[in-house]
Amino acid sequence: MTHPMTRRFLIGAGTAALIARPARAQPVLRLGLTPVFLDNDAVVIEGLRRALASGMNREIELFQRRTYQEVTGLLLDRTIDAAWLCGYPYLQHADALELVAVPAWRGGPRYQSYLIVGADDPATGLSELRGGLHAFSDPDSNSGYLVTATDLRRLGDRVETFFSRSVFTFGHRNVVRAVADGLVRSGSVDGYVWEALAVIEPALTERTRVVARSEWLGFPPVCARRDNLASEPVRALQDALLGLVERADGRQALAALHLDGFQRATDDLYDGIADRMRDLGP
Amino acid sequence: MKQLASLPMSIKLPLLAAAMMILAGTLASQVVLRSLARVQDARIQELAQMHVEGLTVALGSHVLRKDVREVYDTLDRASKGAEGRRMILTAVADERGRVLAATDPRRVPIDSDIADLVRNAVALDHLSIDDTAPVLNLLAPLVYQGRMVGQIATELDVSDLQAERRQALVFLILGNALIVSLLTLAGFVVLRRMLRPVTTLAYQMTETPGEPHPIPVSQIPRGDGETARLARTYNAMVAAVAAKAETERRLAERERFVALGRLSSSLAHEINNPLGGLLNATDTIRNYPDRPEVVRKAADLLDRGLRHLRDVTRATLDQNRLNRQDLPLTREDFEDLKLLIQPEVSRMGLTLDWSVDMPAPTAHGLCAVPVRQIVLNLLLNACTAAGTAGRVGLAVLPVDRELVLQITNTGPELSQAARERLLADGPVPQGGGVGLRLLRDLTRQLNGRIDLARVEGVTCITVALPFATEAGDAAE
Repeated sequence: MTHPMTRRFLIGAGTAALIARPARAQPVLRLGLTPVFLDNDAVVIEGLRRALASGMNREIELFQRRTYQEVTGLLLDRTIDAAWLCGYPYLQHADALELVAVPAWRGGPRYQSYLIVGADDPATGLSELRGGLHAFSDPDSNSGYLVTATDLRRLGDRVETFFSRSVFTFGHRNVVRAVADGLVRSGSVDGYVWEALAVIEPALTERTRVVARSEWLGFPPVCARRDNLASEPVRALQDALLGLVERADGRQALAALHLDGFQRATDDLYDGIADRMRDLGP
Repeated sequence: MKQLASLPMSIKLPLLAAAMMILAGTLASQVVLRSLARVQDARIQELAQMHVEGLTVALGSHVLRKDVREVYDTLDRASKGAEGRRMILTAVADERGRVLAATDPRRVPIDSDIADLVRNAVALDHLSIDDTAPVLNLLAPLVYQGRMVGQIATELDVSDLQAERRQALVFLILGNALIVSLLTLAGFVVLRRMLRPVTTLAYQMTETPGEPHPIPVSQIPRGDGETARLARTYNAMVAAVAAKAETERRLAERERFVALGRLSSSLAHEINNPLGGLLNATDTIRNYPDRPEVVRKAADLLDRGLRHLRDVTRATLDQNRLNRQDLPLTREDFEDLKLLIQPEVSRMGLTLDWSVDMPAPTAHGLCAVPVRQIVLNLLLNACTAAGTAGRVGLAVLPVDRELVLQITNTGPELSQAARERLLADGPVPQGGGVGLRLLRDLTRQLNGRIDLARVEGVTCITVALPFATEAGDAAE
């Protein structure tokens, strides 16, 4: 496309430059992510970063760590401004953290934890997996640990004694892969991730079978420190997340994440997780 | 082995050459296969070493922490990245031998004992491909920060390398068979061609009826090789045999002429002379029929003359019809012999030395026939030995009641085989004629002896025959 060198074009270009310039002048937002949530697909994450940066009109620096514990630590010590955590660590630090926004998936801000086994495994429930090898995603993951651990506790058992060995894979996709490859017999996985993988990598999920689904629980939220919630960057992030669905790049990022959008939420969304935390005990 | 020995040389030699080529081919194939095995072993060891070293670097810290997920993830990525799927299975265990993870977790579960997997495993340095197992098991220590933190067990698929060996073996066998076949065929043709003169020679010596025939010049190989010389020598020998036979034929004919001449001269001398007197007597009877006393005298004369003629005729018949074996040896016999060999001497351009000092027949009592046969045989042999423009001699003289016959020639020395025939009584060596042995037998019958000497390039055969009178007296 060619632009004739007209006065109008020059004015337009100058305006664009003025708009773009403040984007660089704004302080950078530091956002924490874990590969637990979705596989560390660089294209998906980069799409989200671009969409948010565009919506916030500022640069976003992503901090990716291996575990929830590491990312939560970064958030608490103010290394980062906000983080996409899980409901379990959020509740663990509910006194210091506040919800910024919660993703909506399949019409609501909730998801389930899946208990999966190999496709050819005859097991029909958790109780039949005694003595086997089990894969968790992260010790601070609701769907990837807490649900199965509390289910066992409710059965009067413990993870350490029920399974012959449990392995933390630090990634829901890794749980699915470990079960599919036969490295372990069973695994606890985020239902949203498993369903997303069923679309992206059906060959992987077809080698697994869901034997149990948990109740619907609060979706992993984006959190910030309570004392930092009112700050301008966090407010801008919240606006950008809530407005993703209104922009094309935002919708594209949401589609890549298999999400409907982001919405506001209150703490009662996580009551189910809080109940499980109580059941698990100290 | 006997069957092989009975084969003709033109088949035996190519077979021998083929056998040697097969042997050489087999040895060369062995060397090639061993080299290939060494190369493959070095290749598989190098590959395995790289595999182990790569895993050691990637897995060291994970194994130390017993991080099953990371170990599995690393193994999984390593196995998917490997080309050709050489590594069928890799399992990593901790220092106690408990499996942390394997590329095939269903086959080698976590916490199983790695010893179950590595029963036939060998260390890296002993990794070697044999013809039986398509899979090699390797067990290597996993050393991290200077200490052994675990073990790596790997199954390597070497079926392609085994196939490569089998293919090399098949190629070697086929190649060798083809080359040996071609070379054997070529060797057969070439050797057959080279041995053709020998075959021809054998055929000419054994298969031709009657006397041996010379090899045609067209069949004699060119140049001065052994076979060419052999063929030419054979032809010369055949020519010599033919010449000797021709000489003997001419001698027999000459002997008849000599006998006829002697008869003619006897008749001329003994009959022609009295015929004049007899014719005179018939004239007297015809002229004086009326004078009885003259007729009687003439008739008496006629009667005596006719009686004389009868005696002469009887004597001549005796001379030529009676058993000549008993005739005594005279100077004339040697003159006959000189006459007999003269044509051979002239044909070959020989110089003949002739010296005969012959005592009276009554003194020596030797028979003519055997002595003539001995001397004629030796003279003919001497002529043949002396060759063209040589020198041949005969000396006859009485020495101490022995008749000494010396036959000389300037030809080459008598061969060993000829000496054995002439001087010894052992079995007749194969080849050559029997003339010399017959001559020795004749000499022995006459109680004689034969000596052979070689002086200044002259071969001298001396036959000493004791006088028969003395021998006869002694016997009586």
